Amino acid sequence: MHIDWAALGSVAVVSIVSSVIFTILLATGIRLVSVAKIKSNEGGSGTAVMSLAYLMLGIAGLLVLFGIYLIVPRFH
Amino acid sequence: MTELFVVITVIAVALIFDFTNGFHDSANAMAGPVATGALKPRTAVILGAFLNLVGACLSTEVAKTISGGFFDDSLITVPMILAGLLGAIIWNLMTWLFGLPSSSSHALFGGLIGAVIVGAGIASVHGWVIVSKVLLPAIVAPLVAGIAAVWATKLAYRITRKTPSVHSNTGFKYGQAFTSSMVALAHGTSDGQKTMGVITLVLIAAGFQASGTGPQLWVIIAAGVAIGLGTYSGGWRIMRTMGKGIVEIETPQGAASGAATSATILASAHLGFGLSTTHVSTGSILGSGVGRGAEVRWSVARRMAYAWLLTLPGAALVGGLAALLADHGVAGVIVLIVLLAATCTVIYVVSRRHRITHVNVTDSHEVLVFAAATPPTTYPNDPRLDPPPKPKKAKKHKAKSAA
Repeated sequence: MHIDWAALGSVAVVSIVSSVIFTILLATGIRLVSVAKIKSNEGGSGTAVMSLAYLMLGIAGLLVLFGIYLIVPRFH
Repeated sequence: MTELFVVITVIAVALIFDFTNGFHDSANAMAGPVATGALKPRTAVILGAFLNLVGACLSTEVAKTISGGFFDDSLITVPMILAGLLGAIIWNLMTWLFGLPSSSSHALFGGLIGAVIVGAGIASVHGWVIVSKVLLPAIVAPLVAGIAAVWATKLAYRITRKTPSVHSNTGFKYGQAFTSSMVALAHGTSDGQKTMGVITLVLIAAGFQASGTGPQLWVIIAAGVAIGLGTYSGGWRIMRTMGKGIVEIETPQGAASGAATSATILASAHLGFGLSTTHVSTGSILGSGVGRGAEVRWSVARRMAYAWLLTLPGAALVGGLAALLADHGVAGVIVLIVLLAATCTVIYVVSRRHRITHVNVTDSHEVLVFAAATPPTTYPNDPRLDPPPKPKKAKKHKAKSAA
């Protein structure tokens, strides 16, 4: 009986790590957008926080693009 | 002539299987966003259908074998494929009736295995492959996706603890829409191939296509359209179980489980340990419920686990019985088609007793089939399901005469 334990292990690790990373980026981005909005509503400048937020969401977006790259067979 | 008839029948039945595959798996991608309201039910299935169609057309490399290593490819005959497809379709419809998500690939393999056992004996099936490709992944998939979802959910709530939910919900809903779109696209590329592979194999076996060539354009388009239509029709019974039945899904939790589902599906597709999309999505939803500390309905989860274990033998039983008939030439094939139509009709009629559509999919967590054990949560005469005909506009001249 042949079971590819190495493949199983790497699937488990990659799945868990990448979903956690994606969620951290998304949640942090969302939190920072909210902080920036509240700041600017209170009359302060939220620009710095907002750009950091967009950076986080941008990386999350890149992860989505990488996922699409993996899905479409013509790309690789 | 006889052969042409059989080939056309098998292609039609393969497309029907593709359709059931679509509506059975619609919920894998879309149950989460529908449950949290990130996407409206109609929008969700239209998006899912479109992405499945696109995905199916993108998949260039069609699986060369449909046996999946469960048995020797050379054993397969066209009547066996027909019988296997019938087994898979009937199993998919039965589980849909009860609102149970189960793997369409397992159903297809099961149906084929049953047909091969009847045709070539039980010794021709490699038993250990069933353990390594069916049993083990069925345990691994919900575990891996579940653990990923537990952690993702915990972190999502932890990070946005102080964020006003007006802000966080919008963001998480966008995230959810993206991840579920990825799941739908990935589903189209992987599951669309299955039907294309079956049809191409049949065309080659019948001598309509040269051996070793890929699927023809019309096969790709037909398979894509069939799986897209299936996804569009929604499989609302399964959608309700996954979106409402296992656990109530909140928005951050839905986004986390979506992330876990798409990450696990992509990892399993590219790192060589195949997992069923259905098992992965179910595992993520379960895990996200645990991660949020919500009340998970383990009785529903248990029923689903039974369905997963029964899928292969259940479809094999139907496939095997169908194989007994499929070998009797045109008459056998006609009898099979009549039986399939009759079974589909019966299941459809039973499903009408407690209808679930895009209107009432999120109203309740129960999928009722026969008598209502608890007070009915879906009313047979829900006016939203059968909107009364709009009153006709009063004709102008009548109004005048009245005046």
